[in-house]
Amino acid sequence: MPAQDYIPIDSDWLGKAGSLWTTPWVDKPSDRVIVDPIILSHAATLYRKNAGYFYSNPDEAVRMVCGACELYDVTPVGHYLYADYWGADYGAEIKIQTNAPPGITNRPIKTAEDVDNFEVLSTEDLVKGPTLTTHYKALDTVKNEYPQMFAPITQLGGTMEVATNWASIEDVFMWMITEPELVDKLCVKAGDHMVNACRATAERYGANVMITGSVIASGDLMDREQIKRFSYQPVSRAVRKVLNAGAGPGVYYHLCGNHTDDFDLWKDAPMSPFTIVQIGYDGQNIFPTSKLVENFGDRCTCFGTVDTKLIDRGTPAQVYAQAKEQVIAGKDSPRGFILGTACECPTNAPPVNVHALVRAAKDFGKYEKF
Amino acid sequence: MDIKITEQADNLLKDNGVRKEEILDIIKNSESSGQKLKSKDGNTCIAKGASENLTIYAVYSASELLDVYTHKMNILGITGGEIKPVEYDDASDWICAKCGEVALERNVDMSYLGVTRPGPGLVCAKCGEMYVSAGMAKSTLKTAEAILEEKRA
Repeated sequence: MPAQDYIPIDSDWLGKAGSLWTTPWVDKPSDRVIVDPIILSHAATLYRKNAGYFYSNPDEAVRMVCGACELYDVTPVGHYLYADYWGADYGAEIKIQTNAPPGITNRPIKTAEDVDNFEVLSTEDLVKGPTLTTHYKALDTVKNEYPQMFAPITQLGGTMEVATNWASIEDVFMWMITEPELVDKLCVKAGDHMVNACRATAERYGANVMITGSVIASGDLMDREQIKRFSYQPVSRAVRKVLNAGAGPGVYYHLCGNHTDDFDLWKDAPMSPFTIVQIGYDGQNIFPTSKLVENFGDRCTCFGTVDTKLIDRGTPAQVYAQAKEQVIAGKDSPRGFILGTACECPTNAPPVNVHALVRAAKDFGKYEKF
Repeated sequence: MDIKITEQADNLLKDNGVRKEEILDIIKNSESSGQKLKSKDGNTCIAKGASENLTIYAVYSASELLDVYTHKMNILGITGGEIKPVEYDDASDWICAKCGEVALERNVDMSYLGVTRPGPGLVCAKCGEMYVSAGMAKSTLKTAEAILEEKRA
């Protein structure tokens, strides 16, 4: 669908949504908590398109996302990203899938020698590579067509996520046991890559938000010591370097998955004045916002979550009940609060469930602290 | 201590709205109190002068002013309230000249226009003195201040 097939974003809505979105960052009073269901390919389903179409057409993808933001009354920002960024720049093969985000099918690092010989691309080379070429096509579209919904991000992932986009997860996990020093090397290189990638976005657009954190490195797959060594420590070093290189200032720690055993480490991760922490699960359960606020509320903006499984397969009443509990626990968090989903809104989630999430924020998310 | 101010340094002073006498005073006070950061090779120092609205830093060698930077965000204290051990290598390249301790890279709470948020700082665990590096002040904090000025207006 070309740009003229989309209706313009309602300016009254945009003004109000912008005001709600500003509050968590700068404490400017507004009515209620903003909702960010992390809408990506889910937007395509609202236009009777699929995930494959979404990711093959980054300019259309962000138009769909911006339209979905207005439809659902959520964070007014046009995003485009997927988890398996950065593999293709180093020779991996990316497969566009009909009903899921793109996935890597063939990774460039296959042996220990490959790790030693692997060279991180410079900022200049990354700008010319497939990941940022596509990413910038999406961001340029937002900047040109929806300037008030433009807030550039750099999808970094954490060091383990980058590492497993370069080498297979089976190999990386085997090396963690047999040759952990090799994974250290890989994570150092992943950290260097993160700095170069962020610098590229900063040079093109100025201020931007880096999405980092720990997804593969979660409690279901790794123990605390492994998460500390291969994720928390190298990610922290990389974030420091990114900030020192002037490539921030936004830092979004996306701790997807179960972080019962390691969430406390992240309390001391490097933070800028625009830092947000989101934690998916506490064991098998959604991470309680009360616990999130207790540990991070006096440090940074908190992102409380509703279970994406519930958004995907639950009823609107179940979504509403969990969202109510989370938003009441978080709305007056001292340094700001956003209500959202534990991870990306599932592609085929029922729209009524996203609506239930937003309704809960409207019904129970009114600020009392202002 | 006779600090030379080159034309380049003079331009930096002008860009940051800092007077020559002011920066020389900051250096003089730091030298007499010992309250400054020193590079590990001992060749470079960072002195800090804080007023209510602006924190000014001088980076200097024994003979020359090398850099000047400022931030408006006011450092309040350690984020989370106290300096506890963290589980990553937080040692910076700087040493607190007064205590001889390596300055730690830690989050510090900073306030500006009524908003308090964390920021990346350099902290002496012994005396508790807090600084911000040139890289952080010139990029991260400058951008943060601009956003706060726009959004809090």
